[in-house]
Amino acid sequence: MDRRSFLRTSAVLTTGLAALAASLKPLLEMNDFPTMERFLQKYYKEMTPQDMDKVLRRIENEVEQQYGLRPHVRDLKPMNGVEFVYCLNLTRCIGCRKCVHACVAENNQSRDPEIQYIRVLRLPDGSLDTDKAEHFYAPDSVPEKGYFYMPVQCQQCKNPPCVKVCPVHATWQEKDGITVIDYDWCIGCRYCEAACPYWARRFNFTKPSIPKERLNPEMAYLGNRPRRQGVMEKCHFCLQRTRAGRYPACLEVCPAGARKFGNVLDPNSEVSYILRSKRVFIQLKEEMGTSPRFFYYFDV
Amino acid sequence: MTANAKTGLTLAIVCAAFSALALAFLADAGGTRWPRPAIPLVDTNFLDKATTRRSYADLVRAGEDLSDFDCYACHDKKKPPPLRLDTNGNIIVAKEHPDIVMGHGSHGRNNNCFNCHNETNLVLLQPRDGRELKFEDTPRLCGSCHGPTFRDWEAGAHGRTSGYWDRSLGAIERKQCVNCHNPHSPRFPSRKPAPGPHPLREIGATAGPQTGEE
Repeated sequence: MDRRSFLRTSAVLTTGLAALAASLKPLLEMNDFPTMERFLQKYYKEMTPQDMDKVLRRIENEVEQQYGLRPHVRDLKPMNGVEFVYCLNLTRCIGCRKCVHACVAENNQSRDPEIQYIRVLRLPDGSLDTDKAEHFYAPDSVPEKGYFYMPVQCQQCKNPPCVKVCPVHATWQEKDGITVIDYDWCIGCRYCEAACPYWARRFNFTKPSIPKERLNPEMAYLGNRPRRQGVMEKCHFCLQRTRAGRYPACLEVCPAGARKFGNVLDPNSEVSYILRSKRVFIQLKEEMGTSPRFFYYFDV
Repeated sequence: MTANAKTGLTLAIVCAAFSALALAFLADAGGTRWPRPAIPLVDTNFLDKATTRRSYADLVRAGEDLSDFDCYACHDKKKPPPLRLDTNGNIIVAKEHPDIVMGHGSHGRNNNCFNCHNETNLVLLQPRDGRELKFEDTPRLCGSCHGPTFRDWEAGAHGRTSGYWDRSLGAIERKQCVNCHNPHSPRFPSRKPAPGPHPLREIGATAGPQTGEE
């Protein structure tokens, strides 16, 4: 090769490589790379109890390293003979948004940017048209006259579109009705976010920032353990609480008692009572055929 | 132009283009980032699960001071307290009971003290059917008029039920009527809502970064 062609080739190659490196600059902003152990982790449904045990220890170590607090992480399985249903009384909801923040506190969501699984819509009386909804209402006192409030979160559909579109099966529905996400398997393509008609799914655009003093140490693998940048998350009916027999955090804090939760297969539960005795039920976007497990109702 | 010179020129243009691209990416052209106000941590009042009021039953359970409920410290055992009405027929609450504001029922339909309180024995409550109820048992009094709501409350569908949905694993805690409803003015109190969603940009702001910051 003569000097001229050498100089030409190297000049072109160098500038080409420089342009390539510059275009990959956004990767420098990513600060949450998975460890090799997490990268090589098996799919949730293929893990043996011993594998799961190792994974739970790994998560406990990671959280302790990052937040200085050793959590208690469990892998809670669905209970037998249980199918969860949520009933929400729209006559009672006053739109105080305490459920939104109780959820954020219970489920270790990022605070900056703040991810909120529940979105409370303010609708004018007499219409269920969500185009008329106001998401950002901030009056001095609620409830406001002439409006009613409708909190929306993951509806845990019987026929979930998000499960259908996931290319890697990182999300699936378990037998107690909760649609769960394996945060270590999710690739962050956000197809599920596009498919969900209720905008229930949230994406971690940045590394979640959870203040140490507000970390909830009672965690579950498929539930509220801290997620990383680049994965989806959503309401999972507080499975770290509900699969242990307790009510979800949003229900416990609601001052008006608008939220009701329980096992619909049990005829003595309050949700069975409501579904039997109340008259007007609304399932959001019924025409999409998702068959949600969230029933809104009005009563006297 | 010779073939060699043409190639040279092409390569020079290609190099210039790549260098420009590289500089553009490195200088972050076309990608602006404007400052977002930090999101403050939510006030812990919004995470509080306590009810606005405490019932007589709560006070008894907590072993607290019940002297406020000792009616005969002031009232005469032999004489029932008189009812004073104003010119419109509305009850005038005695000034010795300053925290009672009557507002029960629309148009003040239920503003008569002795609709609920027993005038011959002030430590008891009286529903319309003549039963006598203790102050711990207020749901039965309220339920004597508000039947469907009482039935819903007993089933767990009205009011707050917390604890365990699976009763075999733990107990529930059901709140009484007066934990949320002031019996003299029962309308559920309004309150300030918690902060809503935090969008990237202020609602109503026009597009573009703030004054030249990146």
